[in-house]
Amino acid sequence: MLLAKTLTSSTFKLALIAIGTFGVIVSVIFSYVYLSTSAYVRSRSDHWIMVESMDLRGVYEQSGRDALIGLIRQRIADRIFADHVYILTDPSSAVLAANLGEWPPTATAASGWAEFRAAGASSDATAPPLVRGMIHTFPSGDRLLVGRDISDLDHFTRKIERAVISVISLIFVVAGFASILVTRRTVARIEQINATSRAIMASGLDKRIPLRGTHDEWDRVAENLNLMLDRIETLMGEIKQVSDNLAHDLRTPLTRMRGRLEKAYHGQRLDEDAQALIGDTIADLDAVLRIFSSITRIAQIETGERKEAFRTVNLVEVAHEVVELYDAAAEQNGSLLTISGNGEVLTTGDRDLIFDAIANLVDNAIKHGRAGGQVVVACATVNGSPVVSITDDGPGIPADQHEHVFKRFYRLEQSRYTPGNGLGLSLVAAVARLHGARIEMCDNAPGLKVKLWFSAPKSERP
Amino acid sequence: MTGGHRRILVVEDDPETAGQLVEQLTTSGYQVDLATCGNDALNRGSACDYAVITIDRMLPDIDGIAVMRRLRDDGIAAPFLIISALGEVDDKVRGLRAGGDDYLVKPFSFLELLARLEALGRRSDTVAKETILRVGDLAIDLISRTAGRRGKGIDLLPKEFQLLEYLVRNEGRVVSRAMLLQHVWDLHFDPSTNIIDVYVGRLRRKVDDQQAYPLIHTVRGIGYCLRAPG
Repeated sequence: MLLAKTLTSSTFKLALIAIGTFGVIVSVIFSYVYLSTSAYVRSRSDHWIMVESMDLRGVYEQSGRDALIGLIRQRIADRIFADHVYILTDPSSAVLAANLGEWPPTATAASGWAEFRAAGASSDATAPPLVRGMIHTFPSGDRLLVGRDISDLDHFTRKIERAVISVISLIFVVAGFASILVTRRTVARIEQINATSRAIMASGLDKRIPLRGTHDEWDRVAENLNLMLDRIETLMGEIKQVSDNLAHDLRTPLTRMRGRLEKAYHGQRLDEDAQALIGDTIADLDAVLRIFSSITRIAQIETGERKEAFRTVNLVEVAHEVVELYDAAAEQNGSLLTISGNGEVLTTGDRDLIFDAIANLVDNAIKHGRAGGQVVVACATVNGSPVVSITDDGPGIPADQHEHVFKRFYRLEQSRYTPGNGLGLSLVAAVARLHGARIEMCDNAPGLKVKLWFSAPKSERP
Repeated sequence: MTGGHRRILVVEDDPETAGQLVEQLTTSGYQVDLATCGNDALNRGSACDYAVITIDRMLPDIDGIAVMRRLRDDGIAAPFLIISALGEVDDKVRGLRAGGDDYLVKPFSFLELLARLEALGRRSDTVAKETILRVGDLAIDLISRTAGRRGKGIDLLPKEFQLLEYLVRNEGRVVSRAMLLQHVWDLHFDPSTNIIDVYVGRLRRKVDDQQAYPLIHTVRGIGYCLRAPG
């Protein structure tokens, strides 16, 4: 999991780019060093061969063939020239003087450079040494070859070559490992932040990102995020405090007010007009109280406290109860309320809240659906997820409004004058959030289909 | 009901609300004692045998729930009616409900309070043993879950029968919509529609249509009452 995240992380990709660039530069530098070193070594060696060849040619041209034969023999005997190769042949290729058995068969050029393996050479090396030499053909037809054993040279350049290749590979391997380690560290820290964010979204603002005490930039990011969370938590707490206080401080005057109105309503000396006025005032007061209690209820759900009381709930059972309750209301509206799905569709949650959410959706479907239409509640388990869908065949909700209808007090233009306070769907949304459920709205053409995707039931503790 | 069972203890810290309660309950024929704090409630509650104790959750000294628990531990059997503020209907209160007591959310209608007090007070003195309940010419059979008027059967859905049973058991008393939601549907919130009215309307058509006299009566501003004439 972490490895997969490491390999796909942007840090790792950046590291790969850096390694690639660095590797190319190092390779170029090392290749240059290698090439120039080997070229230098070779050119030094070629220089000495050329000088020797010129010397011998000079002796031949000034003092004749015999003098050269003498000089070659002298050179062969000299230990200083031990790594040199000499061969002088006449036009019939008979060897006149040499420390080679025969003219090398591969060196066929009349003059110029040649490289060959000196078979049967004087040296006792197991492998025939590699020789580089200069051929010269005199006008008389005699041929001279002056060469040097360049095996050592070859070894030297090959050693450099091997060193360069192994250093470059080592650099790549070390850089690769280092970048994986660094990336893993980075990814692990980011993952920690992500995990905390997810925990906060799932359960509440009390979680904090752990610090490592290294005082590095990661700790500073974590510290700042934690400070931000502290601030948000304080603000949320204050808002909750305000609404709690509001609920508490308003209830006493409202209770008194309602009491007085009721007393007046049942008073003896009261004409009918006044009684109707008071009756209407009580009804309006009750409507205000209902809105008020809906808001506090949504706020209470959003604190997540009710999660502690989660149990296994059979959605089919709850849906049946909702349909049973709304059956009469649908009948009054002339619409047909039916339920499909039997047996068990289980999830983990709060039965009362789930009932409330489904009830609100069914209530909406009946109220805003077509009079004389059909409302269908269906429960099923789809790909392991329990899902409840509520479908009507009314005018539906325009697709661009789907997002907004869950906002508090939001009302569609078309339903501005139907009863309701615009809080029903906010409550559905709050219940869904508490349960980690997803709400899906789609066009039923005609009508609206709302699906509540719950999560599979957690096995209860024995 | 005996005189002793018309005695109620009201625990309420707000003087005006307490005054209104005492006045209205006295007018309704109850003997009312008032306790204005938790300690006062503990003293009075254990000193006298009350038909019902109404208790506010938020008291200046001790939490209402704690007062109730202590009185219970002292062997006080009187049913408690918990009065809580908006949004305080939490799991604790729901737990109390399971113990047989009732709760009411503030602010409440006095008629609602009265209806609940009647229901709670009644529970402590009668236990119905009959399997067939009768009101006027209506008879409901609790075993076969059937109902009929003048021997003629009424076709009822299971929930309609439960609704009728609850109304019959509370014959002559006003039951509120919230009480019906709680006792018939086991719902502890207001679905904010006229769902109960629609349901009762349907039941009323089945029970009262083409009969000699209606049994189900609407009580304006509070709920319903089932009673036979005379």
